[in-house]
Amino acid sequence: MKRKISLFVPCFVDQLLPEVAVDTVKVLRRIGCAVEFPEDQTCCGQPALNTGYWGDARPCAEHFVRVFKNADFVVCPSGSCVSVIRMFYPELLAHSSLREDAAALASRTFEFSEFLVKVAAVTQVGATFPHTVTYHASCHGLRELKLRDEPLQLLRQVDGLKLIEMVRSEECCGFGGTFAVKFADISAAMGTSKAESVAATGAEFVTATDPSCLMHLQGILGKRQASTRTIYLASILAQDSLAQKSSAQERP
Amino acid sequence: MSQTAAQRFLHDAAVKSADLMHREIIQRGMDSYDVAHLKGRARIKDWEAAREKCQAIKREAINHLDRYLLQFEEKVIARGGHVFWAANSEEACTYVKNLATRLGVRTVVKSKSMVTEEIQLSPVLEKAGIKVWETDLGEFIVQLREEPPYHIVTPAMHLNRGQIAKLFREKLDPAIDSDDPAYLMAAARRILRQAFFAAEMGISGANFLVADAGVIAISTNEGNGRLCTSIPRIHVVVTGIEKVIPRLEDLAVLWPVLATSGTGQGITTYGTLIGGPRRPGEVDGAEEFHVVLVDNGRSQLLADAEQREVLHCIRCGACLNICPVFRHVGGHTYGTTYPGPIGSVLTPHLNGIQEFKHLSYASSLCGACTSVCPVKIDLAHHLLQNRRNATEAGATKSSERLIFRAWRYAMLRPRMYALGGWLVRKVLRIIYGLGLAGSILDPMRVWNRYRSPVPLPSESFRARWRKDLAAN
Amino acid sequence: MPQTNKVQTKEAQTENPSRDRILERIRAGLRTVVPEPAAMRSGQVIFEPIVNPLERFQQECVGNLMECALTADSAASARQLSKVLQSLPEGETFVQDDPALRRLIEQAAPARAIRWSSPSSSEGAPGEASQATVTLAEALIAQTGSILVTAACGGRGASVIAPCHIVYATVVQLVPDLATALSRVSQERKLDSNSFACVISGSSRTADIEKILVQGAHGPRRLVVILQTAT
Repeated sequence: MKRKISLFVPCFVDQLLPEVAVDTVKVLRRIGCAVEFPEDQTCCGQPALNTGYWGDARPCAEHFVRVFKNADFVVCPSGSCVSVIRMFYPELLAHSSLREDAAALASRTFEFSEFLVKVAAVTQVGATFPHTVTYHASCHGLRELKLRDEPLQLLRQVDGLKLIEMVRSEECCGFGGTFAVKFADISAAMGTSKAESVAATGAEFVTATDPSCLMHLQGILGKRQASTRTIYLASILAQDSLAQKSSAQERP
Repeated sequence: MSQTAAQRFLHDAAVKSADLMHREIIQRGMDSYDVAHLKGRARIKDWEAAREKCQAIKREAINHLDRYLLQFEEKVIARGGHVFWAANSEEACTYVKNLATRLGVRTVVKSKSMVTEEIQLSPVLEKAGIKVWETDLGEFIVQLREEPPYHIVTPAMHLNRGQIAKLFREKLDPAIDSDDPAYLMAAARRILRQAFFAAEMGISGANFLVADAGVIAISTNEGNGRLCTSIPRIHVVVTGIEKVIPRLEDLAVLWPVLATSGTGQGITTYGTLIGGPRRPGEVDGAEEFHVVLVDNGRSQLLADAEQREVLHCIRCGACLNICPVFRHVGGHTYGTTYPGPIGSVLTPHLNGIQEFKHLSYASSLCGACTSVCPVKIDLAHHLLQNRRNATEAGATKSSERLIFRAWRYAMLRPRMYALGGWLVRKVLRIIYGLGLAGSILDPMRVWNRYRSPVPLPSESFRARWRKDLAAN
Repeated sequence: MPQTNKVQTKEAQTENPSRDRILERIRAGLRTVVPEPAAMRSGQVIFEPIVNPLERFQQECVGNLMECALTADSAASARQLSKVLQSLPEGETFVQDDPALRRLIEQAAPARAIRWSSPSSSEGAPGEASQATVTLAEALIAQTGSILVTAACGGRGASVIAPCHIVYATVVQLVPDLATALSRVSQERKLDSNSFACVISGSSRTADIEKILVQGAHGPRRLVVILQTAT
């Protein structure tokens, strides 16, 4: 039986990193899922939630619940957005009429690697990526969703991929949403430390479960004119022997 | 011209996070802590169970705070000790100062106590003509530098041995000719020995107040806490009301967990229990024993159902050590007694949300603090709640409020959201096409100061979905 | 006894203008009900059970940077004591005045001036001149390699003032873990008969400079346990 997936594409992925979602769709379809994209979706509410504007985040969260409440599975290429839905909606929507729908939805909402490994029980997706890669453990996937090994299990099955561990791989990259702008100096210093850990591995690519970390890191690496590039996990898994030659070079 | 705490924080954070020597010293210190901490945790068979146990102990204590404090007080008084309840810093400082003056104290030796930093006790005593010696090596070093502790457990971790040797040469003895840590410790020991024997009063903090036994518990490695409480004829304990624990046996888990989280040790070298003045038949010890229980805003936190657990903190410093923000901006940048995640959560409660709300925002909400806290305080969550409290109290900028109102309007209208996104990308592409990235016309200039511009695809994902993905 | 208690409480209250106000604030705060999180999982073992206390104690001593010398009888203990004292610089030795230690010193006959603890003399506590202190312990704790002392073990300074602290103990004093040691302190009301107790786990140390471990800070650089297997 084909699993029916409703894809949730975080707003910044939709607007700035569409390849991330395209590759997510590719992998999910390749493992035999039916994927749909509810077009009324916008944002999970995290920017407002994390800046303290819960009054503004709440209607946005309710909109999300309304859009997705009939989904079998919601899969999202961002651990951070999933953690908002799973860990914070119960509190944010504690007095909302959609409270129970939100709780039910939270249990059917998964981060991309989490869905593959824990729900679909797939680690081999038939990907080929003959490159050196280092892995940054994005905070919310790691600490809110407790995904420590799942992304690595997927990477280890990729043909030709050589995984190189970086030091302090579990230390935050410094993105943090509005933090990156409100406290740009601190965010950049943290990003620089992370970039140094990445560079020390000599890997060609750095990957993670959160494209937001990678967008920030790509910016830091780009400014430093570093040779390492960022690539989202699904974009590695989407590479098959034909595709990898042509498109690996253009990832965000 | 007076700077607000937030402006000063931003300024100092920019300076410190660009200070590569600072970063190297801190990174090296934290790396060695990380190794010791993990090794220490491995010594405990079930670390999660230990955390749960400690959380349960502190929860029980805080949820019956009045009862346990009275139990503690009764025991101390029965042994001939004194217990003074101070509502705020001023009451606490005045009590200690009056006591010292009345008893003719001219020299005080202090062992580490963050509460005395919080209430700013030393300046009050010094103004009364009393010489105050900090005796913990790290505290002694920062006292010589006339600066506050950098970290609640390792106060001088921002300095390297060369800086400390130079400081000692300038302030203590021009003959200091080595920067070997053992040599520097020995130099401090010689000077502080004289102070221990000269002092009439020793002031200590307390890591725990044990209710059933009616004793204070102090953890120290150097032994200075022991000397402060053994030699001078008066011993004053200054501590927060939240330090109480129900039973002596609770220390069987709290002591190892505190040591593991603080330094990675299996247990701190000296776990000292003191319940009163020297008893008849004992060969030494203080003749007067005073405990100053400081409230200073703590009791207000009890009424906060969401954040009462912040009072469970045992001040181990683990959240500072793991915090990537702390690691980059350093302890002094916070401008508060308690730096790092616990400080960012606590300070707005103790000193005002308006002035200190910025600290709750100065976090990427990475959650590392929550994951290490040995009493399982959900620090990252409390940072978030503080942000919510700040916006609800109307303490944030009106321009920001407006932005989020507009954001909300768009997010509830998918077409408006899609159009808005398209427009922003279009405008940015024009600006960047004109070579104006980073200029005053660039709305992303703060982002671009440290980063290359974000990618600006011509089509959003939803556009591509419609075009060629939906049908598949 | 209850009467003095009452008088003192009253006295404490008169000098405590904020006491009742703080207590009232605490009680008011506690009226806010905080939902209890899920109860603890039961039956968890936090610490590895101690199988062989003596072996564990010796292991922990190594980790704690302290010396533990096993001796067969009191004669061997006396020899060990002489050896340790001889290795120290010239200077007096402070000894807890206890019959067992009187016998030990007599047997060891060290070539050092001995100062005996005394509650009634100003010379009865260790001072700056003391090169070593010799005391008994209330218990030894295998789990953490600790010794438990109280004020009865020669006072507060006896375990911290001199550069070397020597503890004379027998294996029957070993308890498996901290929990046992602390509950014994509670049961035997040790803190009612002593104003002070301390769990000491090694020599004094600091890592305040560059996190580098320095042995011998304000307290003893050496902690020596002479652990006698027979009484």
